[in-house]
Amino acid sequence: MEKAEFVPRKVYIEKQSLTLPLTKRVLKNIGQVPTEIIDDPQGFLEKRKISRDSVEHGKKDLFITRKKGEFIKPCPCTPQYIGCNYFVINLDLNCPLDCTYCILQHYLPDTIITITANLDELWKQLDVFLHQNQGRSLRIGTGELGDSLVLDHITENSKDLISYFRNKPNVLFELKTKTVNIKNIVDAEPAQNIVISWSLNSSRIAESEEEGAPSVKERIDAAKRVLDCGFRVGFHFDPLIHYPGYEKDYKDTIENLLGSIDPERIAWMSLGSLRFPPSLHSIIQERFPKTKIIYDEMIKGKDGKLRYFRPLRLEMYKNIVRFIKENGGKNIPLYFCMEGESIWREVLGWIPRRKEELEDYLSSHLGKTNV
Amino acid sequence: MIKKQLEIKKINLKDERFRTSYHFSLQKMKNSLKEIGLLNPPLVNFQDNHLTLVSGWKRVLACIKLSLSTLPVYVIEEKDELEVFLWAFYENLATREFNLMEKAEILAKLKNFGEQEKRIISHYLPLLDIPQTLSHLDTYVAFTQFDARVKRAITEKNMSFSSVKILAEFTSQEQNLLLSLLLPLGQNKRKEILENLLEISKRNDISVKDLLLSDEVKAIRNTETLTPLQIADKIRFLFRKKKYPAFSAWKDSFDSVLKKMKWPEEIMLSHSPFFEEENFTVTFSFANKEHFKTSILKLKKLSSRDEFSDIFKMK
Repeated sequence: MEKAEFVPRKVYIEKQSLTLPLTKRVLKNIGQVPTEIIDDPQGFLEKRKISRDSVEHGKKDLFITRKKGEFIKPCPCTPQYIGCNYFVINLDLNCPLDCTYCILQHYLPDTIITITANLDELWKQLDVFLHQNQGRSLRIGTGELGDSLVLDHITENSKDLISYFRNKPNVLFELKTKTVNIKNIVDAEPAQNIVISWSLNSSRIAESEEEGAPSVKERIDAAKRVLDCGFRVGFHFDPLIHYPGYEKDYKDTIENLLGSIDPERIAWMSLGSLRFPPSLHSIIQERFPKTKIIYDEMIKGKDGKLRYFRPLRLEMYKNIVRFIKENGGKNIPLYFCMEGESIWREVLGWIPRRKEELEDYLSSHLGKTNV
Repeated sequence: MIKKQLEIKKINLKDERFRTSYHFSLQKMKNSLKEIGLLNPPLVNFQDNHLTLVSGWKRVLACIKLSLSTLPVYVIEEKDELEVFLWAFYENLATREFNLMEKAEILAKLKNFGEQEKRIISHYLPLLDIPQTLSHLDTYVAFTQFDARVKRAITEKNMSFSSVKILAEFTSQEQNLLLSLLLPLGQNKRKEILENLLEISKRNDISVKDLLLSDEVKAIRNTETLTPLQIADKIRFLFRKKKYPAFSAWKDSFDSVLKKMKWPEEIMLSHSPFFEEENFTVTFSFANKEHFKTSILKLKKLSSRDEFSDIFKMK
């Protein structure tokens, strides 16, 4: 994919979604793209699986459908490691970016980029969910099963989500992206509880392993624009990738980031190292024969996923945290994604014991400074 | 289709276009033929004045071994090669299991005879118990490029799909160099050696050939006192160390501390898998109070040794 905005080659629309407002909005935004009405979504999805690279094939088209079942779920995290206590809203599935390490290549049964059009159901479910959790601090975000903003020029979902969450003070709502698709964000009125966050990496990894994604510099520039508009921003160094000379490259990214963005205005940063289920290994090997990232010293962790040997992870995390602190980020709340107690204690000096502890820690920084 | 008695020499056995069975033993078939004769005649196709064997390779080859000059056959006259091949395919499918290399040959032949990829995936892959993906079709078809020696070894050792898939990544020379290492090992160890070789080669930009011809490997191969299995196992450990250098260094340090402390065999001190957790585990068994006290006392003494602290540096 080019680093320009995503334009689907063809849009398939489930018949029952045809009259939904979001479908109409998508069709208006995509302009002259061929469309096809699908009577039998299951049969349609099955047929598409017979392709030499069904993942790549899926990244070219768009499927508009309705979601049955729950929109809001606890972040699955991973067994045997400390959870993040986060809730995910599953709206768009799959992503036109083509990152070598992406778990979606293995995780989702259908590979076509899918837009969920029955948003009326989402709002209903959110009302019930928030009512059930009133009085509790919640972190909720999209971006688990697809990039939060990569389709935003087509769906404009960010406008509706920001508008919905703006008045929910007990919720920290996060949109996670690798893109610079921020037009709808900068046009929106900022809110204290909305965080726009970027997944960052070293420039070398961004160039070699994150096909279609903007450069690290472009992402940082986009974050600065969003920050200048009054929003909070967050950053996710995930997956950190180990290679000879990684220290200097990540240091450069962190220096550039904290040289451009006032650390006091950063809501949080998360750290996670490369990890994936063994079955993703062969998918990556087949789809990206040139990548070397899967051949480093990876062991089977307690959750059965492949991850770097613990001393390697520890060394990486200590280095990254040192770079953050040396560059003025001493007060930025940091947390780990899918790590164990020893890593938390040795790198950050504490371990979240109760569910609310991480919430309190991450929201504390938001309360400290003014928008 | 007609049935007739045919001179075996009239069948062109060099033409293997429709063959689906390979690397079999003829002994049982020969015994059967001796005892009860040929009950099911093979199938041949007559085209352009040539008789080509379609199905019944084992039967025909066993007849030749028994020096029979004629045998009963069914004869068809079919121009369409794909149609002829389907006779062979379905007859074999109904009566036996195909091995991995046979499945590969069948899929390659279906493609060569012009069957559409989509039809092969949707119709034939499930009949062969293969997942319906294009990637599986491509992988199986690639297996037909192995040398005859490698094909035979794969079949005789009943190698798994995942191992053969890795083997297909290597050059023909590398595959042949590997055979003597793979053959003595069981399925899991075979897969481990292949996976580790591939990964070390990719990570370090060294060819598998260079890894297999390295001085370390040569030294093990040339140790005359070792059996083929011991050689294969030693080389497997060597590649495991190369695949996990940091972990292996930790493991060696851990083992050397225990050795230095002369840690008693009856009390087992173990680290978590891959040192993923900080905790260590002590295990011992006891039959009575005295036995228990003795072990506790030994542990107490061990824990007061200076070297014991070295273990906790590894967490």
